[in-house]
Amino acid sequence: MPVTAYLIVSALLFTIGAIGVLVRRNPLVMFMSIELMLNAVNLSFMAFAHFLNSVDGWMFVFLVLTVAAAEVVVGLAIIVSIFRTRHEIDVDELNTLKG
Amino acid sequence: MTLQVIAFFVLATISVASALGVISFRNPIYSMLSLILNLVSLAFFFLLLEAIFIATIQILIYAGAVMVLFLFVVTMLTPEGGGISGPDRLRWQWGAGVGLGIILAGGLIIALLSGSLAADAKAAGLDGLSQAVARFGNAEAFGQALFHGFTFPFEITGVLLVIAVLGAVVMSRRFVRE
Repeated sequence: MPVTAYLIVSALLFTIGAIGVLVRRNPLVMFMSIELMLNAVNLSFMAFAHFLNSVDGWMFVFLVLTVAAAEVVVGLAIIVSIFRTRHEIDVDELNTLKG
Repeated sequence: MTLQVIAFFVLATISVASALGVISFRNPIYSMLSLILNLVSLAFFFLLLEAIFIATIQILIYAGAVMVLFLFVVTMLTPEGGGISGPDRLRWQWGAGVGLGIILAGGLIIALLSGSLAADAKAAGLDGLSQAVARFGNAEAFGQALFHGFTFPFEITGVLLVIAVLGAVVMSRRFVRE
């Protein structure tokens, strides 16, 4: 398969993730959409690593994986503490900072 | 059609369909399971791209450990009935989001198709078989690259993980007012 095919799949996945962040109101689902976008970028890194004969793309995927794990831990802690104080997790309701 | 092409199209269908499932299921648990299917299909993409080690850690760490943590929080915070919330305040949100998404996808795909990535790769004589992998084998090539060229980012990764653990502990602690 040409590298463009992988990149098109990656672009589609990234777009679906971006739409998810824009339209969903459950912060957990928004978080999952962010994971989708990270993984779409991982796929294009891997495709380039393969087609450019270089292992460097794998390194970036490894680092993205680590950063994603850290991001999930901290983000879920934030969501849990918001739920503890407000007893709701709809992002449209979380407008305390609105002027 | 070779086996690889068939596998590519099957995997592309599965991954795009499961990604659509993530954003369209109303119950977050179904979104979660759909996301796990998506991550596993990406791991199979990595196998197609001859990165056995990355595919393994994708399944072990991402689809395994991280998603279990995610599933715990989803089951903890989702009330019975899937947590369907009140009336939509922004009714135009779906239309606007999907419209912007289509514009983004169109732009990305036009940019990809009008570029000459595949032609460049062919001109450079790269047909895809990674020489480093052929020379070392898979996990070995990964380790060589990680500990020779990328030592500093690797160390920073350790610092990042410590910060994340401390942050999670501090944030999930209950502060009791005396």
